[in-house]
Amino acid sequence: MTMHKSFRWIFALALLPALSLAANPRLVLPEFTALAGKASDSVTITLDAPMLSLAARFLDPSDPDQAAAEDAIKGLQGIVVRSYTFDQDGVYKPSDLDGVRSQLTAPGWSRLVETRSQKDHANVEIYLMTDANKAVGLAVIASEPRQLTIVNIIGSIDLEKLHKLEGRFGVPKLDMGAAKSPAANNAGRGPGSH
Amino acid sequence: MTDDLESKLRDALRPAAPSEDFDRRLLARLTAAQSEPVMRRGRFASRTTWWFSAAMAATVILAVGVQHHRAVEENREKGLEARRQVMQALRVTNDKLDLAYRAVREQSSMSGGNPGA
Repeated sequence: MTMHKSFRWIFALALLPALSLAANPRLVLPEFTALAGKASDSVTITLDAPMLSLAARFLDPSDPDQAAAEDAIKGLQGIVVRSYTFDQDGVYKPSDLDGVRSQLTAPGWSRLVETRSQKDHANVEIYLMTDANKAVGLAVIASEPRQLTIVNIIGSIDLEKLHKLEGRFGVPKLDMGAAKSPAANNAGRGPGSH
Repeated sequence: MTDDLESKLRDALRPAAPSEDFDRRLLARLTAAQSEPVMRRGRFASRTTWWFSAAMAATVILAVGVQHHRAVEENREKGLEARRQVMQALRVTNDKLDLAYRAVREQSSMSGGNPGA
């Protein structure tokens, strides 16, 4: 009986790191070395909190783009971007993303949007991690015939600020409200509240 | 020839009594020799020490200045690189959000909806 009890404790303690990992908005992205080798262009960005605060000091508030960026990165603890562009279609396999997708099935993550564009032949998935009704993590997986992009934003994400950011950088405004409903229906999972 | 040389040498090396004022002249020369170089040496030493200290101070100030400038420059380069990366990351994020937006619009127009832009 005592053995059973201690075994249960050991088991519970062993599960603790797994549980904390499960609720982590920071995705563990693979190296994608093989993909990087095949890509004609690749973007690898890993910005942690100190780097973000350093960048914020160098952003020019008189520049509208940079002012919006400064506002958007406030409260963020990290931004990770992996993007690979290829010269031909079908260089990467959907299974290359299995490791990332499996992390997004962990508790706390919910798929906000999943779109499949017939025109662009692109598939975009937007995942949100919420904690106490606050967005603490965002993940975007964009699979296009010649491009694969993964974005992971960590920290207290203000979707309003992100929304404000859209329309800048030459990108039209994204109507999150309009985007949510059909995609959430497609996803078959509850959208993350924000 | 050899005898002549010998006698000349003997004459030359023959002990001779010093002149009467030899002591006085020797003492005077010794006193002068002792006092003058010490003064000169002291002045030279203090001047050298001053220049050495000044050179050392200048070197330290220069080294600290160069190090500080290098640190500032390094920090500036890191900051500008971080800024470039932030802007690029946000650009990529926006690009993909736009892709999602266009797909949603496409889906809505196919189903007859009208999402606001």
